[in-house]
Amino acid sequence: MKNAIKIVTSLLCLLLTAAPALAADVNLFVAASLKEVVNELSGNFAHQHPGVRFLKNYGASGMLAKQTENGAPSDLFISANIEWMDYLKNRKLVDAASIGTFSYNTLVFAGAPGKASSMRDLIRLQRIAIGSPKSVPAGEYAMEALRKAGLDRQLEKKLVMARDVRACLMYAEQGEVDGAFVYRTDALQAKRAKILFTVPQELYPQVTYPMALTVAGSKNQDAVAFFAYLHGTEAKAVLAKYGFTTR
Amino acid sequence: MSTLSPSDYDAIRLSLQVAVAATLLSLPFGFVVAYLITFGRFRGKVFIEVLVNLPLTLPPVVVGYFLLLLLGKHGWLGALLNHAGIRLIFTLKAAVIASAFVGFPLLVRSLRVNMEGIDPELISASRTLGARWYDTLVTVILPLSLPGLFAGSSLMFARSLGEFGATIIVAGNIPGVTQTMPLAIYEYASSPGSEDMALSLCLVSVGISMVVLLLHEMLAKKSAQKG
Repeated sequence: MKNAIKIVTSLLCLLLTAAPALAADVNLFVAASLKEVVNELSGNFAHQHPGVRFLKNYGASGMLAKQTENGAPSDLFISANIEWMDYLKNRKLVDAASIGTFSYNTLVFAGAPGKASSMRDLIRLQRIAIGSPKSVPAGEYAMEALRKAGLDRQLEKKLVMARDVRACLMYAEQGEVDGAFVYRTDALQAKRAKILFTVPQELYPQVTYPMALTVAGSKNQDAVAFFAYLHGTEAKAVLAKYGFTTR
Repeated sequence: MSTLSPSDYDAIRLSLQVAVAATLLSLPFGFVVAYLITFGRFRGKVFIEVLVNLPLTLPPVVVGYFLLLLLGKHGWLGALLNHAGIRLIFTLKAAVIASAFVGFPLLVRSLRVNMEGIDPELISASRTLGARWYDTLVTVILPLSLPGLFAGSSLMFARSLGEFGATIIVAGNIPGVTQTMPLAIYEYASSPGSEDMALSLCLVSVGISMVVLLLHEMLAKKSAQKG
């Protein structure tokens, strides 16, 4: 028994003292729609700067903002809308001077071919996936577009809320919903789902990805270097490759 | 503390609806399975016991994923039902099925414990007096199993109220249609600035669970006194 207690306590100690984050770690908190881009860019950067290790957290921008607010270790934040960046800026959690624009995107409706060809056709559908507007920017843009098109009331009970834009795309890929509101770049990654129509730009504000170093990140040399790299031409080329616009 | 929004009331109503439906749906099956496990003598009984208890230890997400594979558009049962014009995935029915699977072992367990406590002499007495097995089942075992039935149902009901993992996979998250309390709380918990909303719904959840468990304890005490 005594031995068992000893083993358990030493195991616990080991768990608790396990190195929290090495100096060379860079914690990235990035909107889910940028997953492939940031994977490739961080991979390239790590290749050029051996010793730098990236810890990547992809998810709904609102969720990432909330995690950061609650003390999650984040060095660099890329949001899929201005709102969640402002949220962290107002709480003095990001380095306000570093805020810049990473990229732009457009909202589309994706699903099995033939299901719909315009916003009006959505009324005929049974189930539509949308990111939860409370935390997923793609869902917020989509809700805004539905409201402007006067369709929000009619579609209210047909909207399946997804935890992030990629989960939204998955629903459309599996065919469990008739279609999903996702970014053009997400739809390009899809295998089965196709872009059915592009949501008219006058219905929602332009999809903008602001990026910033967090207050902690501005003191992390590797994070600062990677941040500069994201502003560079190499990053722009990778973004273009995945269908993002940098204007 | 903020008050509850209309969609919160929807979520509470849906949770109760799902829990009631799942429990009622499982009662007959639960009774039969508990009866077979307690009194039946057949090969492969252990296998059935393990199968019934599996959802108790399996992550609910796994249960949900299997259900999705089975009932989804491309699942073999789902494709069949689709032809018949029945759609389960992303409807409240799917939430009921998910809760029924996850809560079932709790119901069977309570019933089994109860049935094992039935005096075997009562059963053999009824048999020697000429009762057929189904007479014994209906007139001796069923009435004596009632405390276990109530205790098991209340436990299963409470478990169904909290079902999350399997539900979010098969029933999706549609406010006012399939968004139950845990799903609504999850949504609040992942969006900034809605701490108060999450908290009020959490408190409702705690309240309901406590009432149900209190009821369960009272029933369990009652049946213990009897036995």
